[in-house]
Amino acid sequence: MKKVLSVVLCVLLVLSLSISSFAISSVPVKTITPSASSLTMNIGTSMGTSVTFSPANTTQKLVKYSTSNKKVASVNGDGIIKAAGAGSAVISIISSSNSKVKATIKVTVKKYTVPKKQTTLTMTMIGSKQEADTALVMKKVEAYLKDKLNVKVNLQVYAYTDPYTTKVNTMLAAGESFDVCFTSSWAANYYTNAGSGYFTELNGYLKKYPAITQILGKEFLSGSAIDGKNYGVPTNKEQVHNWGYLLKKDLVAKYKIDTTKITKMEDLESWFAKIKASEPGITPLLAVTMDTPFKFLDWDNLGDDDVPGALYSDNKSSKVINQFTAPESIAMYKKLRSYYEKGWIAKDAATMQNTTEMMKTNKYFAVESSLKPGKDVEMSGGGVDWVQVDITKPVMSNRETAGALLAIPAASKNKEIAFRFIETLYTDATVKNLFNYGIEGVHYKVNADGRITQTQTGIDRFNGKDTWRFGDSFKDLLRDSEDLQKMKKFLAYNKAGLPLKSLGFVFDKTPVETQVSACKNVIQTYYKELFVGAADVDATVKKMSDELDASGVNDILKEMQSQYDKWCAKVGVKY
Amino acid sequence: MSSIDQKKQNEIGFVSNLLLNFMFLVCVVLCVAPLLLVIAISVTDEKAIRDNGYSFIPAVFSSKGYDYLLTAGDAIWHAYGVSIFVTVVGTILSLFVICMYAYPLSRSNFKYKNQFAFFAFFTMIFGGGLVPWYIVYTQMVPIKNTIWILIVPYLMNTWFMMIMRTFYKTTVPESIIESARIDGAGEFRTFFIIVLPLCKAGLATIGLFCTLNYWNDYYLPLVFVSDSKNYNIQYLMYQTLNMVQNLLSSSNQAMNVNEILANLPSESVRMAIAVISVGPIVLAYPFFQKYFIKGLTIGAVKG
Repeated sequence: MKKVLSVVLCVLLVLSLSISSFAISSVPVKTITPSASSLTMNIGTSMGTSVTFSPANTTQKLVKYSTSNKKVASVNGDGIIKAAGAGSAVISIISSSNSKVKATIKVTVKKYTVPKKQTTLTMTMIGSKQEADTALVMKKVEAYLKDKLNVKVNLQVYAYTDPYTTKVNTMLAAGESFDVCFTSSWAANYYTNAGSGYFTELNGYLKKYPAITQILGKEFLSGSAIDGKNYGVPTNKEQVHNWGYLLKKDLVAKYKIDTTKITKMEDLESWFAKIKASEPGITPLLAVTMDTPFKFLDWDNLGDDDVPGALYSDNKSSKVINQFTAPESIAMYKKLRSYYEKGWIAKDAATMQNTTEMMKTNKYFAVESSLKPGKDVEMSGGGVDWVQVDITKPVMSNRETAGALLAIPAASKNKEIAFRFIETLYTDATVKNLFNYGIEGVHYKVNADGRITQTQTGIDRFNGKDTWRFGDSFKDLLRDSEDLQKMKKFLAYNKAGLPLKSLGFVFDKTPVETQVSACKNVIQTYYKELFVGAADVDATVKKMSDELDASGVNDILKEMQSQYDKWCAKVGVKY
Repeated sequence: MSSIDQKKQNEIGFVSNLLLNFMFLVCVVLCVAPLLLVIAISVTDEKAIRDNGYSFIPAVFSSKGYDYLLTAGDAIWHAYGVSIFVTVVGTILSLFVICMYAYPLSRSNFKYKNQFAFFAFFTMIFGGGLVPWYIVYTQMVPIKNTIWILIVPYLMNTWFMMIMRTFYKTTVPESIIESARIDGAGEFRTFFIIVLPLCKAGLATIGLFCTLNYWNDYYLPLVFVSDSKNYNIQYLMYQTLNMVQNLLSSSNQAMNVNEILANLPSESVRMAIAVISVGPIVLAYPFFQKYFIKGLTIGAVKG
């Protein structure tokens, strides 16, 4: 019986494979376009390129890379170009299926001058703590950069959020001279400090040293600009975001849930019901503070997440609305209310705090999360494994562009060298990985497949993590828990994102500051109940919207609208 | 006869006695319970905390929090040492400065008394603000990043100085100082041999205040120290606890908050740090206590 079954299965498999391959062979590639047609590079650096195909659904996605001059630039099978010597070279990209389909990239390799005198750069970075072996690693960085930039880096790491923000803001305000500074929308107030003139405008340097622009792409870089001026350069990492569920792996396997079939919220409801009925002790949906399916509406918030004022994430209208009382949101509250009443959301959800901690309890089947390729693996561990399910489409918004930036304080005395050092973090994998994980052989070892394993010394004395804080994350060595295809998946993910038209708009809340903080208070009071369905929707929404009206929500929306319209006209965004 | 009357006069009724005792019992519970809870959490197994929440009696006992401190907590012991050094040296120096400033102000025959008092009061009420303060210690007196930055800014405290001045005035009669002078003692001799020994209660009170001040301080390292070898224990604790709180409450969250949170020390470790940071100061209290009550009332009653 078993044998028969397996034979049948085999036949089915072969059939389906042959059918699909039959279908695949019918979409030939017509043209290929590289991510950049010309590149300027520094000796010793490398740069990744990628290719887009037309038609987009083509099945012939294999290309071959070759170089006209190996002494200037070499290229590998994944399209990573390495600059070897000064001069120029042409990289050709030819489709493996049709040699007539090709494209070229012109590469100019420059040799930058190495300063004779050593410069000491002071760099402030946010992190978990100052690692014990920082000085040792910085010595290594100094030795490596000796004949490139001739700098010595004094790296100071301060702990997340308050300690970092307090220290750096004081240093900036006191005009203390330091050279490289981590900043973002959530720590060391990028927008405020840039507005106060504490950061150097970088557009001149970006033009003079084009590598960072080539790596990040103009769109992403302009997202962090303030009125067209860049005061910081964002980390090259996931440039887009999308929302979805993480599902508990063992339950997905037990109930044989086909995760590819789940594309919207409703698709999971029958499973919630089943799990509620047959898995005692498991709550189907974990909803904590703002980490609830409310996020699936993917409002393009123009202020903070708890300030009224948002656009739809579809680029169709420039009208600013109050996302907390919009019809879609009310429908969502009602749906969550029904989940809550069915017992799919825990009764004490409104008072929970830490999603990550709750996820480790093994008591929940699904949790809403921001996703990216490999998010499920990243969050797995500690006895609970997850599978991710996308619900919303990837979108490039202001959320990502100001998440992690490097800036040069206006009081720095070594601005140009500081900028070139920042550039090194984007172009030189060796430097980037020294800052990430420490010294090879001491803090980590490289496995046969190219991934790394941290040594005990590494864990104790230079615990490499949070590599998203600076530079080009696509040059990071992969940790042994990570997917070997991570970088490729990330590139594809970044490309799939829809850049929102509001990219680069910053709401200046000063004219309506009191209204903003009043409305913030109102939202903070009500969202915890509404987002988890813990309160009757109509009555609560009415109370909330009355209080919002009294707190001046219309002033905020009006101010936002006028600022946004002005900004659109200025930078030429049209709807 | 009279002794029985006296007893009756001072006696409180049974009901009010019960009520008073009950009231103070509630106060004690309110003060002690949170501390006990912290201790309980610090010895509870991490998984039990996640599953059952906090509880006064550990569901599953675990010394993991303290094990972590003993093995991986190099920085914690160093910070502990910094805290103790700063507290001891800081308290002695600070007491010295405060006593020396307060003494002349308490003497009615000191000519520039008002000017010096004004100088102290004025700067207490009108501070320069954070940035000028920061510039003073980074550019004019460049002690930023040394251990002295944790001591110097708190050396002088006008409020403690006022208490001390009042104390001198009330406990040391002018006539004693006069008689010392007649016997041929100079100003310094009078101060150190006659006046200070009379003011032990006051010294203990101000000393305790200073000790608390230095031990509980996290603000100076927060603003001034960039070298982790000069972090004190309170700052280390502030850093971890604050990190968690801020990341949880910040509404405009970074994309990677979950990753950061996943890497933080566990709940029991955090509580264990809190417990050991309480340690020495709890021991210091009984030591100061016998002077403490006397010193407090004297400083407060008479002006």
